[in-house]
Amino acid sequence: MKRGYLYTVLFMVILSAVFTFALAASYEGFKPAINLNAALQQERAVLDAFGLDQGLSNEEASQKYDEVIREGEIAGLTVPVYEEDGQVMGYALPIEGAGLWGTIRGYLGINARLDEATGLVFTEQNETPGLGGRIDEPQFKEQFRGLPIAQGDAIRYGQNQGVQLDAVTGATQTSSAILRILNSALDDFFAGEGN
Amino acid sequence: MAERPREIIKRNLFSDNQVLRQILGICSSLAVTNTMRNSLVMGIGLSFVTALSSLTLSAMRNIIPHRVRMLVQTLVIAAYVIFLDLLLKAYLPDISKQLGPYVGLIITNCIIMGRAEAYAQQNKPVASMLDGLFAGLGYTLVLMIISLIREVMGFGTLFGINVNVLNLQTWTIMIMPPAAFFIIGGLIWGLSARALRRAGKEKEA
Repeated sequence: MKRGYLYTVLFMVILSAVFTFALAASYEGFKPAINLNAALQQERAVLDAFGLDQGLSNEEASQKYDEVIREGEIAGLTVPVYEEDGQVMGYALPIEGAGLWGTIRGYLGINARLDEATGLVFTEQNETPGLGGRIDEPQFKEQFRGLPIAQGDAIRYGQNQGVQLDAVTGATQTSSAILRILNSALDDFFAGEGN
Repeated sequence: MAERPREIIKRNLFSDNQVLRQILGICSSLAVTNTMRNSLVMGIGLSFVTALSSLTLSAMRNIIPHRVRMLVQTLVIAAYVIFLDLLLKAYLPDISKQLGPYVGLIITNCIIMGRAEAYAQQNKPVASMLDGLFAGLGYTLVLMIISLIREVMGFGTLFGINVNVLNLQTWTIMIMPPAAFFIIGGLIWGLSARALRRAGKEKEA
């Protein structure tokens, strides 16, 4: 059936309005759950950066977070600090930078003596699933637990003061991006710490 | 004449498989098939969107002005993809994190619009939904076959569980997209050869 322009235009306007409204309504409905998940994910990420998230349930993780993590300042940055019995055990340094496709965000846990990483976690990454996306798998991330770090000494693939660090096979761009992000965050951190 | 449900299912899964016979959805078949879990999640997400968008578009098929039908299809598909994304974020955050970039990729999958154009436009809503669902499941089936080969040979794992008990050397090329080219090519070849043989036999008979 042939229809006039007016019908076509009206049809599109009404249809767009209906779908936009439906989506906006469902977003409002889902928002509390989404925000809760996002907050929880953030807390778990910080715990994991210190190696504290070992098989905890969501409630346990949230409780643990309230127990041992507080906001603190170091090197001019406000970062999550891990404290036990009033003693600082480590800092979660926020990292952020461009990956191959999108922004990569996460935390690098650093011990209180600032000479060792305690863990690397990602809160946001859009790397190629199955290739660069494998940076978010334990095989890659666990390598950063106990990795020596030092001022002016960049992290690299291969030997780091005797500790082996491997890139992700088939994901050279993403692997290089991770080092770039980590090293620039560490440079800034140590520069701020030196002042 | 309307197709029977059994015919719709058989057509979409085998004889007219979207990936192997229609050569649609090749981009994601190359990209996401290096692990089985990724393939499965992508396939389920796509089936969900194809089924619902075909249902919706078919229900509206008599009031959609012909010249803007593609705009309408895109609008409906995009709305369902965003809805799926929200749903996963709210109730299945772990899967949502895994899927991350895929959910957006579903919009660009030509199978969805292909089914909307080729089927939902002329057929009743329930039949269209079934057609969309099984077109998606046919896609899932092919993805699973490809990723079974790629994950076992490339990583020595199956759904992330180590099956490389003999500790054989894994093939890096299997992780890379080119491997999917060879596997899809081989599957298309095999299926086409079979279809040709059948057609030949029918002629003789």
